[in-house]
Amino acid sequence: MVDTPAITNSEARVHERMRIRKERVRGSLIDLVVTLGTIVIALVVGFIVTLAVGKQPIAAYTALLTGPLSQVNRLGNWLQDATTLILIGLSVSIAFQARQFNLGAEGSLLVGAMTAAVVALYVPLPPILGIIVPLLAAMAAGFLVALIPGWMKAYLNANEIVSTLMINAIIANLYQYLLINFLTPEGDNVRRSALLPATSAFPLLADIFNANLGRANLAIVVVLIVVIAVWILMRHTSFGYEIRMIGANEKFAQYGGINTKRVVMLAFAIGGAVAAIGGVHLAMGVHNRLILGISAGLGFEGIVVAMLARNNPLLVPITGLFYSYLRIGGDIMERTASVGAEIVQVIQAVIILLITAQFVIEYVRTRRNRRAAEAKL
Amino acid sequence: MRDIIKIYPNGVRANREVHFGIRSGEIHALVGENGAGKSTLMKILYGVERPSSGSIFLRGKSVHINSEHEAIALGIGMVFQNFMLVPSFTIAQNVVLGSEPMRGMLLDQRAAVKITNNLARQYGLVVDPTAIVDSVPVGMRQRVEILKALYRGADILILDEPTAVLTPQETRELFAAIRQLVNAGKTIIFISHKLREVMEISDRVSVMRDGQMVGTLHTSDATESRLAKMMVGREVFLQLDKPTKERGVAMLQVRHLEYVNEAGREVVRGVSFNTYSGEILGIAGVEGNGQTELVEVLTGLRKPVAGTVSLGDHSITGLSASAVRLSGVAHIPEDRLTNGVALNASIDENLIVDRYNKPPFSRAGFVSHGAVVKHGEKMIDQYAIRAPDGTLPVGSLSGGNMQKVVVARELSANPKLLIAAQPTRGVDIGATEFMHQQLLKQRNEGVAVLLVSADLAEVMSLSDRLAVMHNGRIVAIITDVRNVSEEEVGLFMLGVKQQTQAEIEANW
Ligand SMILES: Nc1ncnc2c1ncn2[C@@H]1O[C@H](COP(=O)(O)OP(=O)(O)OP(=O)(O)O)[C@@H](O)[C@H]1O
Ligand SMILES: [Mg+2]
Repeated sequence: MVDTPAITNSEARVHERMRIRKERVRGSLIDLVVTLGTIVIALVVGFIVTLAVGKQPIAAYTALLTGPLSQVNRLGNWLQDATTLILIGLSVSIAFQARQFNLGAEGSLLVGAMTAAVVALYVPLPPILGIIVPLLAAMAAGFLVALIPGWMKAYLNANEIVSTLMINAIIANLYQYLLINFLTPEGDNVRRSALLPATSAFPLLADIFNANLGRANLAIVVVLIVVIAVWILMRHTSFGYEIRMIGANEKFAQYGGINTKRVVMLAFAIGGAVAAIGGVHLAMGVHNRLILGISAGLGFEGIVVAMLARNNPLLVPITGLFYSYLRIGGDIMERTASVGAEIVQVIQAVIILLITAQFVIEYVRTRRNRRAAEAKL
Repeated sequence: MRDIIKIYPNGVRANREVHFGIRSGEIHALVGENGAGKSTLMKILYGVERPSSGSIFLRGKSVHINSEHEAIALGIGMVFQNFMLVPSFTIAQNVVLGSEPMRGMLLDQRAAVKITNNLARQYGLVVDPTAIVDSVPVGMRQRVEILKALYRGADILILDEPTAVLTPQETRELFAAIRQLVNAGKTIIFISHKLREVMEISDRVSVMRDGQMVGTLHTSDATESRLAKMMVGREVFLQLDKPTKERGVAMLQVRHLEYVNEAGREVVRGVSFNTYSGEILGIAGVEGNGQTELVEVLTGLRKPVAGTVSLGDHSITGLSASAVRLSGVAHIPEDRLTNGVALNASIDENLIVDRYNKPPFSRAGFVSHGAVVKHGEKMIDQYAIRAPDGTLPVGSLSGGNMQKVVVARELSANPKLLIAAQPTRGVDIGATEFMHQQLLKQRNEGVAVLLVSADLAEVMSLSDRLAVMHNGRIVAIITDVRNVSEEEVGLFMLGVKQQTQAEIEANW
């Protein structure tokens, strides 16, 4: 019989700890390489699709990949589009972390746009406050409206997908009704509100840098603040801890004393407030007024952004920029290379699918975790 | 198995150059502390984990086992501790699952029952082939798992902690079956933390520590204390020092509690008792006699249909789990994977779920990362949780170490009432010793402790009073635990003996 000494002293433990840290760094590097690899493969597959349908596939694909950077105004479009997407992505990620499939961002965005515009139009405000007051009002409105599906889910156990979609539909109709009947100025034959006062418009980057940057505006500063705020909320507050534990295992959270109903409801509501900021950006930065169809379906694109970022608030800006790049590139491709809009969507979908597939695998893996854990006991 | 090295993707080295050999026809016990690498080694043999390096020889030939199916083809079977049966199927259906006898497109039910009966008779593993798995006791479920492995042609049978969930009677039956299997030419690998069992059943014992094989010896050359020392690397004291203690007020008062389960069966029937501050009240009973449900009703995980529960002067009847916890109850749950841990969250996060919003962990709504990490380090140290640090997800810990995370959190919660259900299940001897000391410490500090355990020796040595449950009722409350024998408690557990209602009420 041989008796080999085992690691027990603390020096060896410290050593073991360092080794494991290194191993983990290596693990995350591999993760990164895999992600980049997936993107490359996705782009290649996208190209093959383009080859199959396009008349000038190379030109078309070049338009998709380099379009947004080819002209300054396109760069502006990209930034402006990404701004909204990042906000919606953040909104969605909050409820997702609690495993709630909140599809209400679209509605919250409309509520935010409407509230901000109404306050800006009817409450005379000095500069600076002209931005802050409508912004806060919009956030409050977004919060309250999203509280409804949150409450229904938490206390009535109503399916959140159904309830948020229904509320979205109600809000969309209400928005249209209010805009057409109360906000469209007499004599204007386009259905849109009056221009917002200059004090309530986000300054345009075009004016600041003296370049044709389209409608990109200083709301990107707000985005930066919101990213950091959501990150702090999720990673460093008790509320964030509660959300994450509910997402990890709701029964465990309950057992541990967390008021899961209240937290779930608030996760919806806070998401609503964040999505409302996206509406503020559209009303006070991009259009400077309310128009019909102001959201252009952005509320749903935010889901992809959140998923790509694995609900990590610090990654949302990156995935938001990436996804928005594909959108703008697709637009340019459609216009310059006469590829149909459907094809552009197919290519985008292929790219997104391939990238998400990676996360789906991971999701399945965590589901299997529990079985593995059971086997281990 | 030679030079087996297993490094998990997260960097944990679970097996380090392990040599392990078994002879055909023997009962080979495998022991070691939680996280020593026993399950990992066996999962490698069973093909569900791949070794990072090393080789496996079977009957002199080198083999590569890449999946469960390949292991089964080689005649290797494994029974995991948490069973993998389909609860809504009959026992016969479960046994033949995977290679069913067919009649046309349908499962041949009669053939399945016949196969099951034949196997059961051949190896002395009594089961009821037509019963639904969900409705039979754990001991029988385990026999079903074994039959299933035998049906698939296992010659080498790995049993990972099979006795952790069994009562003494069931363990005796299992051992008889194991002996019969060996007589029929099978080889058994048996993992357990209970050295008494190892001494009783095995021919040889292998001891692992920290991912390494410390050695293999003939059981006849071993003693419990020698094995313990090999496992832990120090002497372990299995004797408990239990000072007498005046009990305080009736902290928990339960009256006429009734619970009906989803299937409509009355599983808790008019249960009444008190648990006093400064005492450990043990609840003994054969598993499946309502103890699990009783605890889950008391802790708010299930709702009672009648009766009252109060804590101190407050009624906590029917409150939610959160509310019960907030009123001062700590709970080591029996179903730890469902309630006790969040597998994907880190050890640190799991350790603060009941106190994240109290100082020092929280200040003005912010969670202090430093305090959380420090707390994690302290618990990992004190409870000997085998993990490099607290950032590891709980899901990647060994079974016993997950349990330690739960116990560490609940024992450090400073509750008024501590409800511990199977606290040391699957935990190694060193840690069991420590947990027993901690339970006594809580009692000595005036906490009311309600202890439910299938390990009769454990409840009897720790409890100040002992309530015995049978068929959803309390059939006896024994105040003089020191002077009652295991046999006598066994008679109460089986419902053979019963105290009168007046006797029980006198001891509430
Ligand atoms: N899937 C996994 N991923 C990462 N690490 C793991 C995984 N499974 C086990 N480990 C680690 O490997 C080591 C050995 O675990 P193993 O389950 O083999 O222990 P064990 O001897 O069976 O312990 P126990 O008596 O508690 O069941 C532990 O440190 C554990 O944390
Ligand atoms: Mg194990």
